[in-house]
Amino acid sequence: MTPPLFARALLLAVAGAPESHYVAGDLEEEFAQLCHCRGRSAASRWYLRQVIGSLPPLLALRIRSGQLTGVLLRAVIGIGLPLMALDRLWCFVYSQIPLKDGTGRAPEYLAFNLVCIGLAAALSAPPGAAGAIASGCAAAFALACATGATPLPYTALVILAVVLIPCCKTVRARRRRL
Amino acid sequence: MPKGDALGEFEQLVLLAILRLQKDAYGMRVRQELSDRTSRDVTIGAVYATLDRLAEKGFVDSATGDPTPERGGRAKRCFRVTAAGIGALDRARRDLANMLEGVVLPHPRGAQ
Repeated sequence: MTPPLFARALLLAVAGAPESHYVAGDLEEEFAQLCHCRGRSAASRWYLRQVIGSLPPLLALRIRSGQLTGVLLRAVIGIGLPLMALDRLWCFVYSQIPLKDGTGRAPEYLAFNLVCIGLAAALSAPPGAAGAIASGCAAAFALACATGATPLPYTALVILAVVLIPCCKTVRARRRRL
Repeated sequence: MPKGDALGEFEQLVLLAILRLQKDAYGMRVRQELSDRTSRDVTIGAVYATLDRLAEKGFVDSATGDPTPERGGRAKRCFRVTAAGIGALDRARRDLANMLEGVVLPHPRGAQ
């Protein structure tokens, strides 16, 4: 007997790669036992309740292990970088048209992408030396992009995010080790 | 003792469940043991999140078992309490015993 497909798909989507394997196996084993004792509909209700109740802790587990921030980083870079490239291309095309030169795109558009990338990079950086290097690179990248295109408050926000978040992480990790 | 090495209430229950189950301590059995003995509605996600935290602290370690057909061909992850985990449980028990020493618990209804 198979558990409700929707609930199982939801569980596999939310739980991280190693946990989802074990959690789904455990639930399936107990589901089969419950099907024999209480019937399929009661077992399905139990399965759904277990999945819904398990989502917050499994999500928190995924965030803690850094898996979700990695996914977030890839998603933001995957969307943010092409959008920024498109924005620069659009500006270039406009600059080549007579009487349209100087019509820049709204700086908030670019700044929002930069803030997202900076935040995602900072959140994804692990504590320690690797995190410091990653956040340094992210800060340099954000600074290089931001100086040419965005007003100062946005630049400052990006730099603060990419420097402060890994620093806080490193301090917290050191405290935990002590 | 660092603050991170202290055991929370649910962590203590999970460690005790693993000790009770011995070689049969994997997610589903731990969840059932907790549900049966504490009358709590425990979810499997909460059990795994706690086990992960305990493993991070070095209080449990795990080994992957064989896959079985009733689990949809998935392997189980069996847990074992480490010496550090037993030490932490012992400290928690001593702390509780010290705090309870000389205290007469009033009846829950009388305390209202």
